[in-house]
Amino acid sequence: MPQSLSPLSVPYRVLQRGSGIAVALAFGLGGGFEIPGLGPAGPIVLLIVAGLAALGLIAYETAYVRRFSYELTADTLDIDSGVFSRRSREIPLRRIQNVDISRNVIQRVLGIAVVSFETAGGGDTEAQLRFVSFEEAKRLQRELPRLKRQAERTDEEGEATEAAERGAVEPELEELFALDRSELAILGALSVDPRVPGVLFVLVSTVGSTIVPAYLTTVRGTTLVGVAAAVLVGVAVVSWIVGAVAAIVEYYDFRLVRSGDELQYERGLLQRYDGSIPFDKIQTLTIADNPLKRHFGYATLYIETAGYAPGGSSGGGSRGSEAAIPLAKREHVLTLVEELEPVGDVDFQRPPTRARRRYLVRYLLVVGVFAAVLYAARSLLPVSFPLWPLLLLVPVAAGFAHATWRHRGHWLGDQHVVTRNGVLQRETKIVPYYRIQTVIDSRTVFQRRLGLATVTVDTAGSLSLGGQDAAAVDISGERADELRAELEARLGRAVDAYRAGRAGIGVDGPTDATSNDSDAESETDARTESGLDESGAPDE
Amino acid sequence: MNRLHPRVRLLWVARAVLTAAILGGVALAVQRIIAPPWLPAWTPIGVFVGFGALGVVVALARYRVWRYEVREDSLYLERGVLTRVRTVVPFVRVQHVDTARSPIERVVGLASTVVYTAGSRGADVSIPGLAPDDADDLRERLKRLAIRSEGEDAV
Repeated sequence: MPQSLSPLSVPYRVLQRGSGIAVALAFGLGGGFEIPGLGPAGPIVLLIVAGLAALGLIAYETAYVRRFSYELTADTLDIDSGVFSRRSREIPLRRIQNVDISRNVIQRVLGIAVVSFETAGGGDTEAQLRFVSFEEAKRLQRELPRLKRQAERTDEEGEATEAAERGAVEPELEELFALDRSELAILGALSVDPRVPGVLFVLVSTVGSTIVPAYLTTVRGTTLVGVAAAVLVGVAVVSWIVGAVAAIVEYYDFRLVRSGDELQYERGLLQRYDGSIPFDKIQTLTIADNPLKRHFGYATLYIETAGYAPGGSSGGGSRGSEAAIPLAKREHVLTLVEELEPVGDVDFQRPPTRARRRYLVRYLLVVGVFAAVLYAARSLLPVSFPLWPLLLLVPVAAGFAHATWRHRGHWLGDQHVVTRNGVLQRETKIVPYYRIQTVIDSRTVFQRRLGLATVTVDTAGSLSLGGQDAAAVDISGERADELRAELEARLGRAVDAYRAGRAGIGVDGPTDATSNDSDAESETDARTESGLDESGAPDE
Repeated sequence: MNRLHPRVRLLWVARAVLTAAILGGVALAVQRIIAPPWLPAWTPIGVFVGFGALGVVVALARYRVWRYEVREDSLYLERGVLTRVRTVVPFVRVQHVDTARSPIERVVGLASTVVYTAGSRGADVSIPGLAPDDADDLRERLKRLAIRSEGEDAV
């Protein structure tokens, strides 16, 4: 039976659309705006026009809500919408990647929510219900995976009745991760909003354009330095506070729950987000950290699905780089990774040592350019400073080159290829073989001189658009040839295995039917000692 | 390993010469209108010859490097003058295949085949410089191979 939107969406939609008009009207009346040729009757005419517009808006929104109907059938989601031009859509359930619910403060008071359905096609949200009651939203989120499972079973076995029975069993909920207070506090403390200095600068340069120069002329040099330092510290503190508040507002009460073969998350202090990520749509897992997080044993986890990274703001499309777990103890993250994609022990293979020479040359070049700039500044400007401290940068460059080399690596597992790159922003990417789209081996002139190559694994994940794909950087040429063939072969095997058993990718069933059975099990047992951990000592 | 149609060199060389001509034109305009005194009179010619020669060399080198092969389960491409790139596109991952012919390609009597995947680099995989019949054949062949290895939803 087709269903309609919540009746409460009419007043909300009217307010949402009408607020802009109301502001314009208030401005027009309050500002004594005069329409030429009307004289004193101007405001009254304006009011009448506004009243008509409001009536029209209410009528339109009522019609919109009344003429909007949706229905969840056994294998499609049907949406009929439109006041003047009608639009009917049927979205196959198995194509739906995520179901997201978001509610802002007003919507929470009214008890309504926005439901967004995402498919792999394009970056935009495929369909949105604005607005339905929150219970209805939750029902849709629950119902969808159930119907999907049912449809799949019916396809396979043709035993609709039995499938329906089994499908009706509510999957058990298992909490995988909850962000506790201290983690939230640390997350806040580590979040600095880089946009704040820019905003402050714009504010000062527009609002304070007359005060600042006047002030600058009255104070003396030494005080000026003090003031400048105070301003700098102030800006830093403000951006830190803003970042902290934003992070806390965004990730307040973050929970990640496993429900059957889906991940569900909830987060937000003012605006609540509820989303779901089906396991079988996961493309890539990324564990990100930086030296600070590494030192204190924390990490961030990103989960990518095709065409969309979960957690993006509703309505505004996908933001593409939202963390699935904003911050957690490294062990937590690794256990969760193991749960999602049983990778087992990872033993990274580093690039050959000659790659390290490349990095050394690269960083020394940076130091050289810096030195040249300083030298030019010294000879052109009437200031003199010694250049020898730059020599101290040479060991830093060497150390950094070594670190770059040390943190790079790749590994082929039973069902996954894992790559790791970066020092300051280190990313460990886990790509199931089944998710490989293309394999790209590229060698620049300089790489060829040293016999090195970079093998990039392209997936349909969306984060890759902005960030970097999983890549084994600067491996030896022979290894690259090998890797190319191997990845292709393993993709083929994974696809075969998937078709043969319709096994979840990495969720159950190893790719190599018999030979790897025991290995896979022993690795799952040893999951606490996962090699993704920092423990791996540098072997040269 | 297949190579491209030799006539594609003509296309690429023409394109390089055209680019050089545009750059030379810009240099000429700069010299005529802004006329900085330090600019020698032969600059436009120099720009044209320099970029033209560079473009032609790169175009010829590109032709020498370009290879493609339709393997059992995948399409394999090898290309790139400065950065050598080898791409493997498994047929299971092919979303659709296009044959494209730009006006200039039609003049020279060539066509390109473009292979789309769901990957984030999507339309990156195109094979230029094929004889139109070959391009159609290749498209049909890739289509058949992709259908035979029907993917779930190729994502």
